[in-house]
Amino acid sequence: MQSLSEALPLPLQFTWLIPIYGFSGMLLSLPWATGWIKRNGPRPAAYLNLLVTLLAVLHGSLVIRDVLAIGPQHLDFVWFNAADLTLRLGFDLSLTNLAALELVTTMSLVCQVYALGYLDKEWSLARFYALVGFFEGAMSGVVLSSNLFLSYFLLEMLTLSTYLLVGFWYAQPLVVTAARDAFLTKRVGDVLLLMGVVALAAWTGSLEYNDLYDWASENASTGAIAPLAGTLLGLGLIAGPIGKCAQFPMHLWLDEAMEGPNPASILRNSVVVTCGAVVLMKLMPVVAPLSPLATQVLLVVGSISAIGGALVALAQVDLKRAFSYSTTSYLGLVFIAIALQRPGLALLLLLAHGLARALQFMGVGSIIATTNCQDLSELGGIGTRMPATLLAFVVGGAGVVGLFPLGTFWCFALMLNTLLPASPLLATVFLLTNALTAANVVRVVRSVFGGSPTPKCRRTPECNWLMALPMVSLTVLVLLLPWIMQRFDPVPGIGSFPLPVALGVAGSAAAGVVVGSLLPQDQFWSRATTPWLRLLQDLLAYDFYTPEIYRRTIVALVASLARITLWVDRILIKGLVDGLGRLSLVTAEGLKLTVSGQLQSYVLTVIAALLLLLGSLQWLRGA
Amino acid sequence: MLLSSLLLIPFVGSLVVLLWPGGPSPQRLRLVTILILVAQLLVSLGAIALFDPTAPGMQLQELHAWVPGIGLDYALGIDGLSLPLVLINAALTLVSAVITRDIDKRPRIYFAMLLLISGAVNGAFLAENLLLFFLFYELELIPLWLLISVWGGANRAYAATKFLIFTAVSGMLILGAFLGLSLLTGTVDFSLTPVLSDRLTIGGQLLLLIPLLIGFGIKIPLVPLHNWLPDAHTQASTPLSVLLAGVLLKLGTYGLLRFGLQLFPEAWARIAPALAIWAAFSVLYGSLAAIGQTDMKRMVAFSSVGHMGYVLLAAAAGTPVALLGAVFQMVSHGLISALLFLLVGIVYRKTGTRDLQVLHGLLNPEKGLPLTGSLMIVAVMASAGLPGMAGFISEFLVFRGSIGVFPLATLLSMVGSGLTAVYFLLLVNRAFFGRLAITPPSGDAQVDGRLDVRLSPVALRETLPAIALAAGVVLLGLWPASLGHLSEAATTAMGLTIGGVA
Repeated sequence: MQSLSEALPLPLQFTWLIPIYGFSGMLLSLPWATGWIKRNGPRPAAYLNLLVTLLAVLHGSLVIRDVLAIGPQHLDFVWFNAADLTLRLGFDLSLTNLAALELVTTMSLVCQVYALGYLDKEWSLARFYALVGFFEGAMSGVVLSSNLFLSYFLLEMLTLSTYLLVGFWYAQPLVVTAARDAFLTKRVGDVLLLMGVVALAAWTGSLEYNDLYDWASENASTGAIAPLAGTLLGLGLIAGPIGKCAQFPMHLWLDEAMEGPNPASILRNSVVVTCGAVVLMKLMPVVAPLSPLATQVLLVVGSISAIGGALVALAQVDLKRAFSYSTTSYLGLVFIAIALQRPGLALLLLLAHGLARALQFMGVGSIIATTNCQDLSELGGIGTRMPATLLAFVVGGAGVVGLFPLGTFWCFALMLNTLLPASPLLATVFLLTNALTAANVVRVVRSVFGGSPTPKCRRTPECNWLMALPMVSLTVLVLLLPWIMQRFDPVPGIGSFPLPVALGVAGSAAAGVVVGSLLPQDQFWSRATTPWLRLLQDLLAYDFYTPEIYRRTIVALVASLARITLWVDRILIKGLVDGLGRLSLVTAEGLKLTVSGQLQSYVLTVIAALLLLLGSLQWLRGA
Repeated sequence: MLLSSLLLIPFVGSLVVLLWPGGPSPQRLRLVTILILVAQLLVSLGAIALFDPTAPGMQLQELHAWVPGIGLDYALGIDGLSLPLVLINAALTLVSAVITRDIDKRPRIYFAMLLLISGAVNGAFLAENLLLFFLFYELELIPLWLLISVWGGANRAYAATKFLIFTAVSGMLILGAFLGLSLLTGTVDFSLTPVLSDRLTIGGQLLLLIPLLIGFGIKIPLVPLHNWLPDAHTQASTPLSVLLAGVLLKLGTYGLLRFGLQLFPEAWARIAPALAIWAAFSVLYGSLAAIGQTDMKRMVAFSSVGHMGYVLLAAAAGTPVALLGAVFQMVSHGLISALLFLLVGIVYRKTGTRDLQVLHGLLNPEKGLPLTGSLMIVAVMASAGLPGMAGFISEFLVFRGSIGVFPLATLLSMVGSGLTAVYFLLLVNRAFFGRLAITPPSGDAQVDGRLDVRLSPVALRETLPAIALAAGVVLLGLWPASLGHLSEAATTAMGLTIGGVA
């Protein structure tokens, strides 16, 4: 491929610059973020970041144009080479990867404009933009990567930047725990993934996805890898994406991460989780032949996350959390699609979900910026005073739900069509999730906009235009999505399913809408009074008591191991050392008294010792 | 002559500082020391230019008979294993001289000792003769003991004595093994020729290797021989901690590779499985013990115990990639732990405490230490093995090289790498996030709320060494080939030797 690169058009040759744009945005922001330049406030950092992101978007579209003309390309650089190890940085310029790239960079651009409005008076705006630049660079690298090593490299960078973005307002106690949990949860997944990566690197020699695919199918057919090793490898590989996509049981961090600034939440809920799913998608042909168990685990995890997330979302009283659990739920559905080896459908679902979810979070941000409140029990009665926001809520909600004729509807119907003959159970998962999500969306919209105005919502002008512009543009995009999907569709035709399936999907959504609009709403009694209902509500509101389960299991395990080690260190080892020291002091004190002080006895000792030494040497030489 | 000048510069420099005429101010002495160390760094960098990275063996050799009767030769040489360590030594000694600012007593002796240590360490890394190595290995001990026991913290006598006894035992074991080699083979050949079964039975080899292992295990340190390290670190001053963690611990791992693996390849291959388990145990123990610490410096010290375990794992595996990883891990641990100790030192100087139960919110942009905090985040992330920084590529090489040989020990060590994230995240979250506080909470939220903590700002010149180290960490992480091409030939040859006899 290297020899071809002379002939490649320039934008293609320099595709590796696209992730660099994001990282350079971070570097460009540093003078303002660190306070070296104080005179003119942090805005220039934001403008510079917007500029480089715009460059990334434009460069990406040039690459797409060239790839459309000359077909998919592969770029490859040797990064490190030693002994029998070669680490490469590879980029796969296929249309799907590039579409994902455009999604990432465009969403980043839109969010950065939005953040300019949302974080208007934030003193550390430059730091935010530096982190977003870092974020964007890592994400655009992940989606283009043709190489597991590079993917892992960048996924970890995403973990770091998530930690820093969630911890943006680090002075608040909840933020501190949220950032910690986000990092550690992802880190657990990453370490397991690293184990898989290291094992694969040792076994195969190459970490290019294509080589891995060949290797996996070859070994699966010859049985060269023991089933246990294959299973462990598969489980390790899927652990990374499970953590990254906030799937059960590593889902808690996404909810806590809502403590971070809202523009980062937009990115996290739409494109960051997409990156995790994209990596899983690239790994699936390795996992599937080696480890049937890992595939089963993916299906189970996906199903539990889908339904569990949708249920938990229903009981949240926090505006952001109500939607973030829904993200977990949708990524569960994506996981099912990936586990069934339907990458095309999974990508469509990711696209539809990503855009609509981002729109929902923009609406949420607009409400929060205007009312300074994100508690559903204190919001209400905004009515039509924020028309753009209302529209974003409605369109975003409808886009997420499989409601005719927006994007997700087509994805769900296609998915259902493939699922129904083989596994009706999974089909039920889709329909149930859809219904529950619809109910949740209607519940939230009713609660925020319906009823009479609450004290916090009496004066609610529409958000400023820096937020409104991206929000309205995205609304239009979500509305146009079915048309876009039809054009870029990797699956033959987005409408290729029978009418009953369509009716099923629409029916489940409609059922959800009806349930959502019938749910009783009382601002003062947001907690149920009926005992069993209250129990259920608490169970869901506290996320099936997951934090408590974490605390009682893994956290308690590590903490007690640490305590035991500390005890061993302080009592056993230090005690032994100090004891030895004390013993020698005490014996010395005792021996002191046995010495007579006469010169003759010293001379005698010296002579005896010398004789002994010489004698033993003589004996050793003789031996 | 180049290698001899690496010894001459610090040793003569040490004399110059001691004999500087008149009563020079501490600042003047510091400046002289810095200049000498800059010269040492430049000569070390010059060694790169003369060094041929494609040749696996010793280069730039110098050989003079010294005391032929006992086999002591003045034999120096450098290869891909020692060159990076010589560089690290020059760089970190310079850093520790630069960050020595408030020296209150006997600056003359302090700086002379610093130079003496640096020279002795250079000597140990360059020595091609076992006895010469031992001389330098012991020579570094006394100045270090002095530096802890004179310029240390409140409990310095205890820590210094403990350090002295542990390291003296380590020295005795090593000397015993070296002399035993002469005794058992019946020659006075102390050159670095591998001892194979045609010269010595495998039982004899093991008999010599085990004391060496324990001796160097104390220096590295490996659990359970580590007890001197946390005390030494907590009592030592910041510049000394930088030197101790960054350079002196490497003597142990260097010794293992040079005088364990390279000198006794057959016996090494025999006990390698046990060493791998020992390494994993050390890694997990160090990490778990670090989780429980409340003193920042102790936590970093225990993290050193954990991270040096990776080097033993790589040495046990003995594949070319693993051994290259061992060199990387030594260099990156040198940079990262030096950075960590340096930053903890800044925090201690500004707040007067290192207690994680007391410190909060130091990242505060106006009243806290924002730049120190940001650098601390870089340092802990590098230590936790985040890609793009030196720790990641080192750990990746170690794990990739070891997993085929010792899968279980490698996986356990990787768990240790995950635990690093736990304790260092606890450190950052407790000390740097949250509301700024440097005194224990009084129990009354209102009283605490009224406390207006305002830390004196950290001048740029104080953080400059830290910025340089952080830049080094990132540079090595993004461009590992820079170090890789220096060491690859040597470690590959070493790996083939051990692979050949195993």
